[in-house]
Amino acid sequence: MLEVSDLCKRFGALEVTKNVSMRLEKGERRVILGPNGAGKTTLFNQLVGEIIPDSGSIKVNGQEVGDWSVEKRARFGLSRSYQQNTLFDGITIGESLGLAAAVSTSKSMWFWKDSLQDADVKAIVRDTAEQVGLEDNLGARVSDVSYGIRRQLEVGLALATRPSVLLMDEPTSGVGPEMIGAFHRLLGRLSRELTIVIIEHDMDLAFDVADSMTVLNYGEVVFEGTPGEARESEMLQQIYLGAWDDA
Amino acid sequence: MFYQTPLRTAVLLLFTLACIYAAFTAEYFGVEILTEIIILAMIVLALDLVAGFGGMVSLCHGALAGVGAYIFAIFTAKLGLHPLLAMGIAALITGAVSWVIGTICSKTHGIYFIMATLAFGQMAYSFVFESSYLGGDNGMAGIPRLDLSMIGIDLFDSKQFALLCLACLLVAYLFAWRILTSGLGRSLVGIMHNEKRSRALGQNVVQIKAQVFALSGLILGLAGSLSAQHIMFISPNLLSWTHSGEALVIVILGGLGTLIGPIIGAAAFVLLKHEVSNYTDHWHLIVGIILIIVVMAGARGIYGEIEHRIAKRCAKRVQKEQAPKQAKEKTKEHSLSHAGLKKEH
Repeated sequence: MLEVSDLCKRFGALEVTKNVSMRLEKGERRVILGPNGAGKTTLFNQLVGEIIPDSGSIKVNGQEVGDWSVEKRARFGLSRSYQQNTLFDGITIGESLGLAAAVSTSKSMWFWKDSLQDADVKAIVRDTAEQVGLEDNLGARVSDVSYGIRRQLEVGLALATRPSVLLMDEPTSGVGPEMIGAFHRLLGRLSRELTIVIIEHDMDLAFDVADSMTVLNYGEVVFEGTPGEARESEMLQQIYLGAWDDA
Repeated sequence: MFYQTPLRTAVLLLFTLACIYAAFTAEYFGVEILTEIIILAMIVLALDLVAGFGGMVSLCHGALAGVGAYIFAIFTAKLGLHPLLAMGIAALITGAVSWVIGTICSKTHGIYFIMATLAFGQMAYSFVFESSYLGGDNGMAGIPRLDLSMIGIDLFDSKQFALLCLACLLVAYLFAWRILTSGLGRSLVGIMHNEKRSRALGQNVVQIKAQVFALSGLILGLAGSLSAQHIMFISPNLLSWTHSGEALVIVILGGLGTLIGPIIGAAAFVLLKHEVSNYTDHWHLIVGIILIIVVMAGARGIYGEIEHRIAKRCAKRVQKEQAPKQAKEKTKEHSLSHAGLKKEH
């Protein structure tokens, strides 16, 4: 479903992505781990087209998307959520989800009809709001709601585009244990058809949701395997995980 | 997001009635001022569509209206086409020119967008100014007005011409309203609030911005052709960047991003200009002071401020009405829990 081969990116003398390759099957849930500055978010930015890699290839469903724009990749089913909330502050949560749903139903360019009043768009908004627990907040302005709700919306926007590959950049960053639990349950409810890549620092969550793990360090893949193999890797304990048993 | 609230409809209705009243009661000079207000209202409406809902602060909207005026003049005075057909052609060509400008400028942001649109406007001005075919700095005279005598309308009568302009303004308003409440308009507002996220959702940002810029150009083309018919003479001055700057001032004065606000702004601006210039030539000074006051007072504009105050008052009233209900419910809950406790004991 998602195939990355020999991806390289350099900012001046700093090599932020070194020959990164990975292959995800349909429905696979991959957690990307790595210390701060390991190049996880930069990798995501290259996957969605926000940063152009120096070399390498990115294929989604067998289709090379490396030359495509951000929006074309998104319409092809590659959706992302951001580590720092990137939301539509001046409008409501329902309208925000409606904008995302309108793209997935090809109604965002409708010239004469209101996309937000369309039955298909409304259905996606309702379903997504239910999935991420925002059904009671649809009328609230994004700028007026709490940080936790904004994090839920961040994921909701990515889901409302009905993606085939979902990239989530630290979806639980800055939220409390209660919300981490809610997010855990949300992942459990998502379709197993959906391929998910998550950058996550919460170890409990990472090990619980992952089918496979990739660990980055200084921009290169230093480990790839199952959560069980990751637990047993001495190298990983030294690089990143420290007191493994605490996890 | 844009919603045509009852207040906006009421203000539009009031403005229409005021215009009709003025057309029937004012003398010749008053009706000319009324026509000036209505045509300017169309230009600022088109500007609000892109600036207030797409964040595209254009400094070429005055020039684009001028392009519409010149196209109308060429097709009527030079090529002898029927004015009605020429109006349609002027709107379409201005829309196409706007689409090209929108496509190129949409790849820039902020001050660069403003400068790029200004450059296009100045290019159009220079072209017209230098063109001997278009009369150069002497302009073009002998522009005909639409002939609707077959249905009993005499557009050489200033009152009837003003009413035709008013009808065109209402059509333009309905058109802008429809665009803003369509999928395209909703996407445009999303892009204004967060372009990066809109791209990440799959919105074709440049195409959406360019399309709305082109639709705004259709209104400008219509406004331009009315402007050419109004004076029956046009000069390159119509395309001067100061007209675009003036339009921007009016949009801010009336209320950016409200659609009806700039129309009120156009009326206030023209009336102020004519009233103050009776006393002093420095009427720009007064407009400048008023603009500074408007910006310092929250930058909501005349109509935007009214809308804001009414919304605030309504929210307060709702709060007041809900307060006793909530207090009652609290007392009820308290007494129930008290009774429950007693029962348990």
